[in-house]
Amino acid sequence: MATIDLDNMLAKIKASQWALADIDWEAPGAEMISEAQWPKLKAFMSDLMWIEHVGARGFAAMAKKAPTDTLREIYTYFHAEEQRHANAEMALMRRWGMLEGEELPEPNINLRLTIEWLDRYSDDMPLEVLGSVIPMLEIALDGALLKFLLDEVNDPLCHQVFEKINADEARHLGVDFHVMEMLGRGRLHQLAVKTIGTVVSPKLIMGVLAYAPLLNRMRDNIVEMGLKEERLYEAMDKYQRIGGRTKEGRRNPWFQIISQHGRMVVDRSHIYHKPVDALVKLSNYIPRRALGPVPSWVKELTWRPTA
Amino acid sequence: MTIPTMKSGARKATPRQAPATNKPHDVLIVGAGFAGLGAALRLQQEGVGDLVILERADDVGGTWRDNSYPGAACDIPSNLYSFSFAPNPDWSRSFAGSREILDYVHHLADHYNLRQLVRFGRDVSHLRYDDKTGLWTAVTQTGETFQARSVVMAQGPLSNASFPDIPGLDEFKGHKIHSARWDHDYDFNRKRVAVIGTGASGVQIVPELVKKVDKLTVFQRTPGWVMPRPDFATPQWNKLLFRRVPKAQESVRRALYLAHESMALGIIWNSPLTGLLERVSEAHLNHQVKDAWMRRQLKPDFRIGCKRVLMSSDYYPALQRDNCRLITWPIARLCENGIRTAEGIEHQFDCIVFATGFDVSNNGTPFKVTGSKGRDLDTDWKRGAQAYKSINVAGYPNLFITFGPNSGPGHNSALVYMESQIEYLVKAVKMMTSEGIKSLDVRKDVQRRHNHDIQKRLAKTNWNSGCKSWYLTEDGFNATMFPGFASQYARQMEGFDPGDYRVVRVAGRPQ
Ligand SMILES: Cc1cc2nc3c(=O)[nH]c(=O)nc-3n(C[C@H](O)[C@H](O)[C@H](O)COP(=O)(O)OP(=O)(O)OC[C@H]3O[C@@H](n4cnc5c(N)ncnc54)[C@H](O)[C@@H]3O)c2cc1C
Ligand SMILES: [Fe+2]
Ligand SMILES: [Fe+2]
Repeated sequence: MATIDLDNMLAKIKASQWALADIDWEAPGAEMISEAQWPKLKAFMSDLMWIEHVGARGFAAMAKKAPTDTLREIYTYFHAEEQRHANAEMALMRRWGMLEGEELPEPNINLRLTIEWLDRYSDDMPLEVLGSVIPMLEIALDGALLKFLLDEVNDPLCHQVFEKINADEARHLGVDFHVMEMLGRGRLHQLAVKTIGTVVSPKLIMGVLAYAPLLNRMRDNIVEMGLKEERLYEAMDKYQRIGGRTKEGRRNPWFQIISQHGRMVVDRSHIYHKPVDALVKLSNYIPRRALGPVPSWVKELTWRPTA
Repeated sequence: MTIPTMKSGARKATPRQAPATNKPHDVLIVGAGFAGLGAALRLQQEGVGDLVILERADDVGGTWRDNSYPGAACDIPSNLYSFSFAPNPDWSRSFAGSREILDYVHHLADHYNLRQLVRFGRDVSHLRYDDKTGLWTAVTQTGETFQARSVVMAQGPLSNASFPDIPGLDEFKGHKIHSARWDHDYDFNRKRVAVIGTGASGVQIVPELVKKVDKLTVFQRTPGWVMPRPDFATPQWNKLLFRRVPKAQESVRRALYLAHESMALGIIWNSPLTGLLERVSEAHLNHQVKDAWMRRQLKPDFRIGCKRVLMSSDYYPALQRDNCRLITWPIARLCENGIRTAEGIEHQFDCIVFATGFDVSNNGTPFKVTGSKGRDLDTDWKRGAQAYKSINVAGYPNLFITFGPNSGPGHNSALVYMESQIEYLVKAVKMMTSEGIKSLDVRKDVQRRHNHDIQKRLAKTNWNSGCKSWYLTEDGFNATMFPGFASQYARQMEGFDPGDYRVVRVAGRPQ
């Protein structure tokens, strides 16, 4: 994945569009989900589709910051594609009898907090922050969650769907890392000044307070389902490897911060986990009412292939 | 994929009479819109009598004959969107609808006896200059030919409706309508309808269509800046006043003109006024749209003026009606039953309305134009169209273009610009007929100097501030807009200096 030509990438993206209607959601295979799997899978899918949706909102914010028209258009597509993933995953849930009527799966409280943060502050974040965090989320998904899912679930339709999703994700990662390197190309002291300015901003601190417990809760959920947590760590490792393979990538201070954070997350004995796990527990006590109604962008989610 | 283009009301005309009468006309005009009729009218008034107008459709009116979609209207006040030499005291509204503007054009055509000059159903496909005789020949689709000493290309800047370059355009089995070729027989009652495009036409169609259909879905790629439009009916006393005291209407026109001129400060250049206009538009958005996400979807992210400013007070409310939905996902393709967008959903419709604009030839010509020594205008313009004062092109003697390169108004009535062009060409043609001039060809160096200056001034404008629009060619060359006030344009067009031209007189005529 050396630097890529973004114009070619945009053309490739446009030529690779697919729709829920391309898939036969009634095809046989749904019965291959075992009773024992069912409740865990339901929780897993629900997290997964919300993370896609959160990623979608992240790309929407990045589109506003994109330095060129081409990158703006790419991010506009990625925004829609993550939404497509969420929609397709809901359609799978529906197929497996995990959704009733028009209901959306319930997001866990940490996801809910993250959505809240994205809605309020993501548009104010510089491209550097989102451009470095999003690859981490994407790689965690690609590397850990999806592989796990495909190991566990035999329904052939599920494999068919994730083949399409993975093809999209490969393009996302290509652009993600290209941009991370691009962001490391500026003057070093400027990068540093801008970074410090952002790190101390209350908006970002709020974001960290939402993001850190989210990662830990996901780790807990995954472990509970039987995924080896090493899978998640391998994925984070991959972030450091690919993100740090060039000088420009390593020079991006946000890459350094997030890698450092990744190392703490991976190290179970690190003091980091004390407060963060406490936050996870604490967040269980947040009453849903305190959060108010979900933002209206969430309401665009749908499992129906046609409207 | 080629983008299909629809020509206005073009119909196959069988050649009726014998081609090319023996005597060439003084002036041949292509197009019977405002520009073509206005030119004919003024030429006649100045005593140039031998004219012919070729029009491909079967009526006069151009833009206002073709754009009859619900809600079609002018977004320049009617008192300014009319010829100063033919005022209309009876405008029923501050911003007249398309039908009323067409009536005004009909009035011009009838009152000044212009229809008899028009040959309808003549779709010009080639203009050819002959160096030996100094005459132009116009060839129509059917092979009919017409000859004249001078030609006015008044085929309109926005007359070829275009469909967007979307995969699967032909797969859709439902009804397709282009805003500029409205289908008045289609019954929208109880239909699920899509509108693609949210430019000048889109924002006018949506508020009307939403009242008629069962479900309306609006597909937006780029949101534009929207300004409130103070549209009201003209009170009766006002009409009476204008009829009895024409001076009163003149001064209202003058005031409107100046108001629009002052807008130029904010729209053409990045000035404190630019920020102010953006804030007015933003306040309009925030006032009319409640939902934060929808506001975000509708908020433009380019500088105001870089694209045409939209005028509407009922567009935002229409989008929020229960039966309306705004979609900002990119369109992936059209399919049998509707539109598939990139979020993976197929949106199904009975009818798709394309409010997607026009083919703008800013680096080419709409039909073949062959000039002196066989040169081809399309080739000469490949890298961006250039002309002298927007109206003449070196190497194409006796050819006058309305809305030629760098004549576009971004902030004021097109007719104000058009009048300057018409007066300029009238002066030139009058000189040609009275002095027996065979060819009048603008000097290359004069044209070069003019364009150098124009591009230098354009570099400082909002249009060239980095957003894509139909004003610019693919490589960002601005061959469309005039970088200045309408009054500066008027001044540019005021002086016709024969010294700028190479003049050849008909042999045997004294100097
Ligand atoms: C929807 C819409 C709204 C607009 N609103 C405004 C506004 O609010 N304010 C403003 O200032 N301007 C507006 N304009 C711009 C408008 O085009 C001009 O104001 C003006 O009408 C142009 O007049 P015209 O005579 O140059 O061209 P047109 O009105 O387009 O007339 C050209 C004529 O030439 C004919 N023709 C074209 N090609 C050929 C051919 N090859 N052979 C023979 N005949 C041909 C066409 O059929 C047509 O009749 C608007 C345009 C559109 C499309
Ligand atoms: Fe995804
Ligand atoms: Fe992704």
